[in-house]
Order: sequence, then structure tokens, then C-alpha cells
Amino acid sequence: MALARRGGIGRYYDVNGWLFVAPALGLIALFMVYPIFWSLWMSFQSGRGMMMKFAGFGNIVRLWNDAVFIKALTNTMTYFVVQVPIMILLALILASLLNNPRLVGRAFFRTAIFLPCVTSLVAYSVLFKGMFAFDGIVNSTLQAIGIIASPIPWQTHPFWAKALVIIAITWRWTGYNMIFYLAALQNIDRSIYEVARIDGVPAWARFTHITIPLLKPVILFTTVISTIGTLQLFDEVYNLTEGKGGPSNATLTLSLYIYNLTFRFMPNFGYAATVSYVIVILVAILAFLQFFLARERDK
Amino acid sequence: MDIFARAHLSRIAALALASASFLAVTAAEAKEITIWCWDPNFNVAIMKEAGARYTKTHPDVTFNVVDFAKTDVEQKLQTGLASGTADALPDIVLIEDYGAQKYLQSFPGAFAALSGTVDYSGFAPYKVEVMTVDGQVYGMPFDSGVTGLYYRKDYLEQAGFKPEDMQSLTWDRFIEIGQQVEAKTGKKMIGLDPNDAGLVRIIMQSAGQWYFDKEGKANITGNPALKAAVETVGKIMSANIYKPANGWSDWVGTFTSGDVASVVTGVWITGTVKAQPDQAGKWGVAPIPALSIEGATHASNLGGSSWYVLESSAEKAEAIDFLNEIYGKDIDFYQKILQDRGAVGSLLAARSGAAYEAADPFFGGEKVWQNFSDWLAKVPSVNYGIFTNEADLAVTAQLPALTQGTPVDEALKAIDAEVAGHIQ
Repeated sequence: MALARRGGIGRYYDVNGWLFVAPALGLIALFMVYPIFWSLWMSFQSGRGMMMKFAGFGNIVRLWNDAVFIKALTNTMTYFVVQVPIMILLALILASLLNNPRLVGRAFFRTAIFLPCVTSLVAYSVLFKGMFAFDGIVNSTLQAIGIIASPIPWQTHPFWAKALVIIAITWRWTGYNMIFYLAALQNIDRSIYEVARIDGVPAWARFTHITIPLLKPVILFTTVISTIGTLQLFDEVYNLTEGKGGPSNATLTLSLYIYNLTFRFMPNFGYAATVSYVIVILVAILAFLQFFLARERDK
Repeated sequence: MDIFARAHLSRIAALALASASFLAVTAAEAKEITIWCWDPNFNVAIMKEAGARYTKTHPDVTFNVVDFAKTDVEQKLQTGLASGTADALPDIVLIEDYGAQKYLQSFPGAFAALSGTVDYSGFAPYKVEVMTVDGQVYGMPFDSGVTGLYYRKDYLEQAGFKPEDMQSLTWDRFIEIGQQVEAKTGKKMIGLDPNDAGLVRIIMQSAGQWYFDKEGKANITGNPALKAAVETVGKIMSANIYKPANGWSDWVGTFTSGDVASVVTGVWITGTVKAQPDQAGKWGVAPIPALSIEGATHASNLGGSSWYVLESSAEKAEAIDFLNEIYGKDIDFYQKILQDRGAVGSLLAARSGAAYEAADPFFGGEKVWQNFSDWLAKVPSVNYGIFTNEADLAVTAQLPALTQGTPVDEALKAIDAEVAGHIQ
């Protein structure tokens, strides 16, 4: 009798527990799990607009022969390889400079460097587009102070267009990463630095041998976040190039290519889904590699 | 608490129901037709004029003309059609002729067939062909994009050229003139957006070819007109007689600001050119330069678009009737939009109207409309196919390489490979 009663209570709690989480589970299933599986199914189909047909591995074969896809992939990897290290290093340096308690106007500089982060992606891209126009303020300033003789074709030359995108995303995201480092720096025990100073360790060595190793988990975290962000790069390129990824596809990213396949070109949702799975796989591989490289070796 | 909520719930529900039915009633009384289009000096203004005319005779119908950038209209439309919900879509949408077949074939059933209602025999045949799928005709033909060479008389005079010197040019001569204009006035000859293949398309069609042949197959490597067009644009770039522009508004700025001496584009730009009253009398219009290959002409087409009614629209019947009443029959309307906006319509009957005979003081008293009307009759007809957007991007991708000395045949091969990849 008692057992049955306890079982009753147990079941009562079980049912109630499940009822409490059911709405959340239902929503996750509807808006996360279902679309993921549906897009996987879509990536095996191909066709024009609503006229989709099963294509097997046709889309994957198409990837290999698609010069534009290869170009978008190379561009995305270039952004990743060039921009992420620059930004992480810059953020680290800025964070340790701004962590110095003797610096006057610390709060002001911290706010100023973090401020780009709160601007809208579209707004700052449009602003950059204006500033870096052929006769825009950047070219005229550089000419006025004599750094360049003729205006730089920021948006019409393949190399400079890529440089512009890298400048733009570095401006936008460095402050964001710096905040993580600043927070982590507060957690490093000051006595470690004191001991190092007493032992006569120079400032640069203190940075490389104390700060960086102790920040390793945070550096790993920001690197993974930045990797994902760079691989999904879309807004900046879209707004700087009117959605074309020009000049000559020099700034085209995978996300922009997916967008074009879906909304600009003859819509092929199946192939677009296949390209988006390429990003998923790339992010997974890169995140795994980063975790692998940063693993604790002494264990 | 519980009782309170229950007692009020029914009232809240009743209120919601009442307001919903109130909205439904007002919707049934005043019908609003929502229209998407993209050029405030051109099709937006024209659609407002058309709407005002229709509201005079049908006071119960009002119009909401929404003004987006062209790419936004196209991409928003494509998103709405792909999502399968009609709520986000307008009643009438403007689609450029290059993209019409793409939408009609990819989203069957999304657009209302007007074959039974509109008398298509009165329109320019090439416009009707663009909107026909399986024998059904889907849109209301609107403007033609017959091209002209707009040039600044004052700058060219400074460089020693009279209007007679601008007639029947070749592209090589155009580039020579451009170099002299820059030497004498410091102005560039033309504004050029290296990410926009518009000029390539104009030159190619002037010689009767397109990216695709009549059957819709890619026609790239063995296409003399495309080869010459790409070469010409490459020469303009290496001669450095152009002002680079990034995007549409930047490009428009090159001539509204007076920075360049000429514009080669469709007649629909007239409204924008004339929107600068301080430049009145300084502009002239000549036929576009021709290539020096077989089949080359001085006439071409750029853009041009048509109105389409969405099948899912709640105001479908009114929208179709409106288009048919104004765009299908109102000759006076076509005279007005020609004079005010430079819209060369594709309703053939409208061409005999008085406005086509008139001289335009903005262009120093030239009979520009008569000229455009004559050139329109000479535009070589081509098949736009359904992959023009893709081919455009493939072409612009190769333009920078050309200026750095890549042979044209190699560039064409790369374009061909890219286009072939997209045609699936």
C-alpha cells in the first residue's frame, strides 16, 4: 500500500516535471530540431524555386565543380586566417594596457573601445561605405597628410576591398573581445605579478609568461566565438557591396553566397542548404582543432 | 486572482473579437491596393499618377505605393514567395524584364494570369513574350529601356566637340573623345560601377546577342558581341576615362553632381537627369556608340519592367481592373508620363500621341522622344533567359582581370565556366 502510494507520488512528480519542460521542449523541437533535419533533407534536393526534386549527392558533386563556391570558401578562410589573429592580439594588448590602474581616463578608453560593439551591423557598414568611398573622407584625409598620392580604390579593387572588410570587422569586434579579457584579468591574483616583479621579470615576459597562459581558457573561448562569427560573416559584406560580394567576388563569403543562391539567383534552396552544411562542418572541425590544441597537456 | 482573471478574460476576448470584426468591415469598404516599385523619380511617381487617375473614377479604391531599392523589391518578393505566406506580399509588384521568367517559372501559381482580360495585341511583342509561360500571359507591360547616349554639351564644347560630332559614334571614337574631354576639362567621360554589368549588356544587345541563345542555352565563348562588349568595357577601364562608382546611388551621383560628361543607359534615367534644374539646357541625347562587328547597331535596351498582380492578393480583381484601365487603355496617361518622367511605354497606340512630337527645352529643344521612339523600333530582340543575374555576376567577376591584361578569350572561358555551374 505504502509502496503503491509512493509510486503514485513518484509518477505525479514525473508527470508534472515533464509537463513543466514540455513547452520548452516542444518549442525547441519545432524551431530547432525540425528545421535542422528539414534542411538536411533539403540539401539532397535540387531544382528551381518550388519545383524541387530529389538529387541524391548531386549537390555535393556540384560543390566540387563550383568555382564561385571555391572562391567564397577561400575568401572566408582568408578572413578567418588574417582577421581573427589580428583581432585577438589587438584585443589582448588593449586589455592589458587598459588594466593598468595608473592609466588616466581608463573608464573613458574602455567605453570608447567597446562602443563600436553596440552599433548596428548595418549602420556601421553603411558608414564605412561612405567613409571609404573613392572620394570619401578616408582617402581625402590620407591624401591631405601625404601618406598616399592618389586615392585608394577601397571598394573597386579586389585586394583593397578585402582589406576594407577586415578593417571593418576588426573595428567592430575588437572591443567585444577586449571586454572578456578585461574581466578575466581581474581574476588573476596580483601577488603573482608582484613575485615576478621582485624576481626581476621584465614587463614583456610577464605578459607572455603570466598573462597569456592564465588567460588561456578565455582566449580559447573568444577564438572559437570569433571563428564562428567570421565563418558566418554576412552583414558587413552585404552592405558594403550591395549584396554582390564584389569586386570580382573578392569579398564574397559563404553566407553571402547562400543568400544569393536563395534570394538573388534562380532560387535553389536545396543547393543553398548544402552550402550551409559546409559552414556547419567547418565550424565543427575548427572548434575541435582549437580545443585540441589548447588542451591541458600535463594531464 | 483566479476569479478576477476569469471574469475579465471573456471581456478581453469580446473586445478582441469586436475590434477584429471592425477591421474586417473597414477593409471591405475601402480597398487599398499595395504596390512595390523602386525609382522615386520614375515608376513610383508614375504609379502614383496612375493611382490618382483610377481613384477619380473609382473613389472606393486607394493606393499605397511603397518605394524600395530595386534589389530589395526583388529579394523581398523572392523571400515572400518562397515562404509560402501571402501576408507579406503586395497586390501589385514591379519586376524587371530580365527576372520575369525566373519568378514565373520558379513559383508557378504565384502570379495572376491576365490573358483573358488584357488585349495584348496592342503592346510591343517583345514585352509580351517576356511574360508568357506555357501560353499564359502574366503581367501588364510597362516601360521600355531603349538606350541613349546622354552627354553634357557644355563639357564637350570645351573639349572642342559639337553635337554633330556625337552622332553615330563607334566605341573606339567614344574612348578617344573621352580622353580629350579629360585632357581639356578634367572631367571623366562616364561613370562606371565595376560591379554592374549594365554597360556590357547594353553593348552586347546592340549587336543582337545575349548571354543565352534563343533556346536559353549559354552563349558565351562563341559570342562575338559579348566578346566585343567585354573588350570595350575593358578598354574604357584601362583608358581610365571613367569615374568609379560603388552601387546605384553612387553611380547616379556621378552625373547629377556634374562630375562626368556622359551617361549611356536606358531612357528611364531621363527623369533623374531632369531632376537637376540647374543643368537644364546643358544636356544632349545621341544614339549610343556602335561596335565595329557584324550586326552592330546604335540601338539597345537596358532594363524595362512590367507590373504583375499576385494571385494571393485580396484585391486581385480591383488590381487587374486598375492596370487594364490605366496601363492598358489610357493614351493620355502615357503622354503625361512621357512628358513628366520620360517613360517610353510599350502600348503601341500611345506612340502616335502629341507628346512624342514635342521638343524638350531641358535638352535644348531637341525632339528627344521622337528619337527614342525611332531607336526603339531598331532594338535587336534577344532571349533574356532566366539566368541573367548569374551571368552578370560572372561577367563583373572578370572585369578587373581584363584591365590587368588577361586575354579576353580567357575571361570568356572563366565566365562560361561560372555560368555553366549555375545552370542546373
